[in-house]
Amino acid sequence: MDISMCHVYEDEIKSLEEEIKLLAEQYEDIQQESTFYSEEEILMAIKAFQSELQGESKGNESRSDLKAQLESLEADLSFLMKFTCVQFTSHSKRTVERYRNRTVQKHRISGKCHSLSFQLEFQLLEMQDEEKVSTVITDLSIVMESGEDANVSKFVSRTEEHGDLLTFFRSLSSYAEWYEHRRRTFLHFKVVSIKLLSI
Amino acid sequence: GVFSHLEMLEAQAHEADRKQEEKKQQEEKLTSLKERVEELRIQRDRLQAKVDLQKKRQSGKEGVVSGAAELSAGAVLEWKIRSVKGMLQLFYLTGISGKLTKQGVCFSISTAYESTYLDSYHLDLLTKPAVRIHRHSVPVFIPLEQIAKRYLQTDIRRFLSILSDHLNAYAGRKYQADQLQERFSDQLEGSLQRNSLCNLLAFNYKVPSGGKTFPFSARLIYRDICCSLPTEVMVSCTVKAPAHLEETAAAHSELFRHMALHKAFCTFSSTEEKVD
Repeated sequence: MDISMCHVYEDEIKSLEEEIKLLAEQYEDIQQESTFYSEEEILMAIKAFQSELQGESKGNESRSDLKAQLESLEADLSFLMKFTCVQFTSHSKRTVERYRNRTVQKHRISGKCHSLSFQLEFQLLEMQDEEKVSTVITDLSIVMESGEDANVSKFVSRTEEHGDLLTFFRSLSSYAEWYEHRRRTFLHFKVVSIKLLSI
Repeated sequence: GVFSHLEMLEAQAHEADRKQEEKKQQEEKLTSLKERVEELRIQRDRLQAKVDLQKKRQSGKEGVVSGAAELSAGAVLEWKIRSVKGMLQLFYLTGISGKLTKQGVCFSISTAYESTYLDSYHLDLLTKPAVRIHRHSVPVFIPLEQIAKRYLQTDIRRFLSILSDHLNAYAGRKYQADQLQERFSDQLEGSLQRNSLCNLLAFNYKVPSGGKTFPFSARLIYRDICCSLPTEVMVSCTVKAPAHLEETAAAHSELFRHMALHKAFCTFSSTEEKVD
């Protein structure tokens, strides 16, 4: 009798520990997603952090790593934006579901590729089974600046239908480059024609 | 006699002691487990209340609250770190992501089939004295050296874009073949044969007609390795069959040329239902 009670308690302990882990992650998610610090506040925090570190007699390794970590990540981000010509101007994320091996997040992003702006909304489903993590996009919604172009709107609706976010970005690059080139060419000819007319 | 009787009594006493000790240990274990459960329940309820309060606050103000002086400087930095990491994850979704290294850059090319992201591949590039590949995880049947020879020195963006085309087309073909094996194994006869690049597929499948099933065989060749649709398809019925099945084979051939393999098989099942 006692032995089976032990098992019951042990099972409950295991399930409670899992619940607590999930709740803690949920709490951190919401905390992260519902706060915002401006660049000035970040800079102030860095300054305050540094003076805290200097105040401490023995430099705490892990704490000074924070500043270095932030700088390294920002360098990576800045490089990628310059290299790919894709800039994300705003990104808001909201964790909608969080289970042991399944997370759903809602993303809202605005950005531009070269000079073309876009706005995206989608849900990102991450499932963990054994060693693999699978990522699936659902409810994709795309708004593009040059929406009046028939080809663009056809492309956008087909991409939305299949949740094909990757193809959207891969095509966006080449389209934006072409669009930029065309814009500059037209501008050039506009200037030239104005000059000609004024002769 | 007496001696063995004494031994027996001693053994009995030992046994009784042992059993009592065991019982005591079990009771202690039970009590401590019970206490632990209580502890965890309280912790869980407290956390749940915190999360519920957060959610109420979050739904009350749609949007974000300015951080103000709520958190310590270190916590603010941690917030910012998580925020930047989140943006870096977005680049993973765009197909090209990367990380600066001491000697250059490590790029990561992601692949996807429609809404499902598949494997990603890494390229560790050195930039001095010239751009060259240090290490990579690109499979050997992708013509990496060829592509690098043509574009790596002159136009890295173009190099990555073309490599991405190859990798995504391969990933797309592999995905279709995997899906076919996973979801339509009951319609397949035998195993699906493919090469490593997944641009040669051969399989046998069953086609129902008039209450009977006929064995069909299909061969798909993808000569354009940057494309996930085949350039040549051969479908035939492997036994002598009624003439109308030749039309079916031709129709399937056309279908496989223009539609993803697993989606084509989806249409088979649905038309079958309609006929029944």
